[in-house]
Amino acid sequence: MTNKLFFRSALISTILSYLLIFVGGLVRVSGSGLGCPDWPKCFGRWIPPTSLEQIPAHIDPTAFNIVLAWIEYGNRMLGVIVGISILLMTAIAIIYFRNNSKIFYSSLLSLFLVIANGGLGAIVVSSILNPFIVSLHMILALFLVSTLSYLTIESYKLFNDAKFTNIHLSKKISLSLICLWIFIFVEILLGTGIRTNIELIAVDNPLLSKGELLDALNSYKYLHSILGFSLLFFSMYLCFLFKDDFFGLSKLLVFFIFGMIIFQIFLGELMIFFDLPQLVRLFHTWGSSWLVGIIIILYNTLHYEQSK
Amino acid sequence: MNSLNKKLVIAFFFIFMLGSFGFYVIDKAAKSRIDNIGFVGKVPSFSLTNIDGKIITEKNLNDKISIISFIFTQCEGACPIMSVNMATLQERFSSSKDIQFLSITTDPDFDTLDVLNQYSTNYSKNDNWFFLRGDILDVINLSEQGFFLSAALLPAGHSTRFVLVDKELNIRKYYEGTVESNIFELQSDIVTLLNQG
Repeated sequence: MTNKLFFRSALISTILSYLLIFVGGLVRVSGSGLGCPDWPKCFGRWIPPTSLEQIPAHIDPTAFNIVLAWIEYGNRMLGVIVGISILLMTAIAIIYFRNNSKIFYSSLLSLFLVIANGGLGAIVVSSILNPFIVSLHMILALFLVSTLSYLTIESYKLFNDAKFTNIHLSKKISLSLICLWIFIFVEILLGTGIRTNIELIAVDNPLLSKGELLDALNSYKYLHSILGFSLLFFSMYLCFLFKDDFFGLSKLLVFFIFGMIIFQIFLGELMIFFDLPQLVRLFHTWGSSWLVGIIIILYNTLHYEQSK
Repeated sequence: MNSLNKKLVIAFFFIFMLGSFGFYVIDKAAKSRIDNIGFVGKVPSFSLTNIDGKIITEKNLNDKISIISFIFTQCEGACPIMSVNMATLQERFSSSKDIQFLSITTDPDFDTLDVLNQYSTNYSKNDNWFFLRGDILDVINLSEQGFFLSAALLPAGHSTRFVLVDKELNIRKYYEGTVESNIFELQSDIVTLLNQG
């Protein structure tokens, strides 16, 4: 009963966190990051103003744009909802799972991560969207969904013991998955690096088109493509490793990872050839966060078998 | 349809909805940017002298996006920051012929054309930045009646705001010339106006 309760709260927290990453990406690509110049309030109000008259005198109204304010504030409100859901999950962990160190400490870690990232959100705003801090904000979010994905699969295993008994696991698979996760993380860092550099160039060269900005990047941009294609072959190799594994879930997940990587490469090429359309950027970022979580879930379906 | 396929269909539908939502929000944000550069009024007629002796009137603002500031050379507080910020904008938009800058002195007694000329060399790297001088009463009138900016107790009481004027001589928006986030805003508004044609 408590197992199921915790699993549900972990699953809801995970799904909400993924939604939050989507909305966070939306803030970024729509350029709404400074929609509210203050934090945590928006133009001095808990509910963003709808007209200029509602802005208090001490706050500069120059940047007021009701659409951007609500996009930014939507991100913050969803952040609060995610925070509450993780708080509830952690409360369940503290009450019922003190003896399960995996769940107990991971819950505390996720609570810490969500609070830290909320606080970092304040710094994002006060730094006027410093690209490095914006990237850090996303990286913390990736650690958060990783921890939450881990909690979800760990708690699922608590009451689905029977489903996990048929898995063939080798050291090779385990090691490959760890490497894949690390490589994907590096790939994401390279991607944020590209975006950071584009933004730094764009601030000093506001007249450059998106295509010209891409051209202005140094050759380091190719690393992202090269590693991306390497990951494609790597995931093909993983599919091959799983060919003898007849357990549905892990095989499904491996093919999903393979498909996601193809999809990510496709989106990446779209961005190059069509001057970085915002919606594509959004899904490219969001897709990368999916990969990070799915690999953790896959790994822990296997890890379970190993420890038996 | 088995339960997995059903879940997949729901998942795809959900992602499709998210994508549509994202598209809607992105589009809405882009449109709001244009709407947000308001209309304050028309630039009044004026006549001021540039450092090269040329008379500059409102007609020189035709077909250019203009950024206007009020400064004086002996000012030690806001003006140096304002002029550095304007110099930054001048440099960043140096490849565009559609943008120009005007700095009007609020201390014409001290700021002769020579003094202004000397001052300009500290900041301007191009000939699209005019440093203008006129009768003090004209300057007060231009600031208060023309641009709706306070001009009490000149020279020090001048406004520290930048005025954005579009190609049709409409006063579009004000920006605090000493605040980095405002300059950032001004920069993106200039790009928005330029893209509009």
